[in-house]
Amino acid sequence: MTFEQRLAAIRASLEASRFDCVIALHDGAHFIEKPDPVMVLTGFKALGPVAAVFDRAGAASLVVTPSWDAERASETCPNAKIVPQDDVIVGLAKAIGSSDAAVGVAGLAATPYSTARRFVDLIPQAQRADAIVFKPAQRKTETELTHAREATRIAELGYRHLLDIARPGISEDELAAELRWHSKSLGAEDNFVLLCAAAHNRAVAPSNGRRMQPGDTIVCEITPSYRGQLAQICRTIVLGEASILLHRKYELVVTSMRAGFRAARPGATMADICRAMNAVLEAEGYAEFCHPPHIRRRGHGLGFGSIGPGDVALDNATALEPDMLFMIHPNQYLPETGYLLCGEPAIVTPHGAQALTRQQAALAEIAF
Amino acid sequence: MQTMHPTLLVGPGDWDPRQIPREEYDDRLATLWRNHDHAGGAIVYGNSRDHAALFYLTHFTPKLEAAIALIPSRGEPQMLIGGGPNMLPAARPLTFISTLAPLRDASKSVADWVRGLEAGSSLVLIGGDAMPFDLRRTFEDVLGTRLEDGDASLQVCMRRKSARELQILRESCLTLDAAIIAFRDAAHNNKSATDCILVAEYAALQRGAQDMRSLFSVDGGRTLRPFDIPISQRPEPLQAYLAVRHGGYWADAFVCIAAQDGELERKAAKTLRAMVAEAKAGLSGRQLYQIADASRGALRLHPLADQVFGSSIGLSLDERPLLTPDSDATLEPDAVYSLRAGLVDEAGAGAVVSAMVLVTDSGPQVLWPTDGCP
Repeated sequence: MTFEQRLAAIRASLEASRFDCVIALHDGAHFIEKPDPVMVLTGFKALGPVAAVFDRAGAASLVVTPSWDAERASETCPNAKIVPQDDVIVGLAKAIGSSDAAVGVAGLAATPYSTARRFVDLIPQAQRADAIVFKPAQRKTETELTHAREATRIAELGYRHLLDIARPGISEDELAAELRWHSKSLGAEDNFVLLCAAAHNRAVAPSNGRRMQPGDTIVCEITPSYRGQLAQICRTIVLGEASILLHRKYELVVTSMRAGFRAARPGATMADICRAMNAVLEAEGYAEFCHPPHIRRRGHGLGFGSIGPGDVALDNATALEPDMLFMIHPNQYLPETGYLLCGEPAIVTPHGAQALTRQQAALAEIAF
Repeated sequence: MQTMHPTLLVGPGDWDPRQIPREEYDDRLATLWRNHDHAGGAIVYGNSRDHAALFYLTHFTPKLEAAIALIPSRGEPQMLIGGGPNMLPAARPLTFISTLAPLRDASKSVADWVRGLEAGSSLVLIGGDAMPFDLRRTFEDVLGTRLEDGDASLQVCMRRKSARELQILRESCLTLDAAIIAFRDAAHNNKSATDCILVAEYAALQRGAQDMRSLFSVDGGRTLRPFDIPISQRPEPLQAYLAVRHGGYWADAFVCIAAQDGELERKAAKTLRAMVAEAKAGLSGRQLYQIADASRGALRLHPLADQVFGSSIGLSLDERPLLTPDSDATLEPDAVYSLRAGLVDEAGAGAVVSAMVLVTDSGPQVLWPTDGCP
């Protein structure tokens, strides 16, 4: 699918709806869990609050804040009318004029109140229309998949760098910051490095100042973004020699992940993948650890634009289609070993899911 | 300045009572209650992008998901942390607040907490404008007219820096210095623009920076852009904006490095020196702008130093009020301002320079450049 074909699909959804146009809103705070409808419509990753107007004729306007960032927007979106402004709602008023058109809006729920309230005052007739933008974006474009492959390459290099530099005495914060910097030096513009270490991790959590100790298990999600497209790898590393028990349990989560990959075929649902992974763990007596608070999901979509097809979770009935991109990660807490991270980015092909990584998760040990 | 916001805040953020002890937070809260003497408590929201007020009152940086501090006017505060119960241990070192709970069903949690406060008392809402729209509306449904805005009065307090805050800001300026020295060295060694940014960022990290933001120009200083992908260009001159967060507090600078004649930069610096010299308590944004406008000669003011040419700086890069040509807001004693001056020549090339200035009763003190000479 090309970007133009996706826009055509969004336009078709718009024509089939009661709306004359759809307005996408985003505040410029790019978060792994927060989809960005403006990126979906324009490919533009904004610095500040931004809005895109997309009408039934396929015409797009992009309101850019701050105004001095307009040239970058023009380069990214040569076919859109760029409206430079320092206040996104003022710019939006200029872009749409005085209109009583039927307006759909995407991204309103996550928009900060100060902007959203003024949007509602400006266009009181607007109604939520997130699906018009995000449903056709559940499949990635060819360009997004190329970027995801590059982000994965950077993630794997980042992991090798972690193996080189992690040692007792370094703090979680220092290691995470170094990894983020390293991925930028390789071409990523950002990296969601969720990393922590302990003798017995209850979960993976944001880094803090704790200094690593011999025998710690490091769990990390390395998630570079290349040109706005995220890809992730989930890894587990022991500072020292891992016990036989830990090796055995890690093999169990790898087996669970492989079961997830086998289940991820076109037509299957995201819930099917989750069930397949759970089954491996349940067979080994870990049924109670297959639910909150130990586990919420077994994977997720990868933004920053669309985060479709959503979570690998029992309540996600989304059916898989070729070119969907998401994480498959069992990421399981086991009482004997603590939390274990194991996951790969997967693309759905007509023949099944394919991992983007060259080398898949295996328990690593760092000698020092 | 607007910069590209990272998806996760990964730098050091643990609370160190040697930097800001609990007593200083108690003083800040006492001021909050003096400003809102009928309030039974405060609800303070912060997310990874907008958390200056939350940090000011709790030292907590929401690195991953949003957090809400529930602070009674009498009794101990508690904090609701996004991300579920397993996130609590990692959050604990980031704040002095010892009662942490998961941020789930926020409106119900807050309503339960409010029931324990004095009946009929008002509730101070801080950071409410940054809340996601749906969450804020739910709050309003649950708490209705008891909510009163606490942002404006708190911003006044946050602008005036304590001695301890100034000490941290000076550390931030030293970290910024380290980044700029590395940037200049790389630029003089003809490294590409993005390589210069990367070495600057690395130098800041080595000094324990909590965060680092950057913008740079590929068109001779006319426009700025964020780090996207590495580029091989070494534009001439190399204009950049670098911002460093250290211990929660930001320091920022515009730097313009020319291999040859830096005449435009020298003229911009002259304008900046004129602004800094007059940066005294009581001077309005309008008056400061007139100084810049009067010293530009035949050159145009740079768009990045025209409609907004500075702001208070501290826990965020652009604390209110922004300094604008028609602003009647005045410089305040004990506040730190980032001031910038920029010019554009006939050919369209630009240069922007900046300084950080502490306004005192006895006049301006330059915090950055750290040698005191803008």
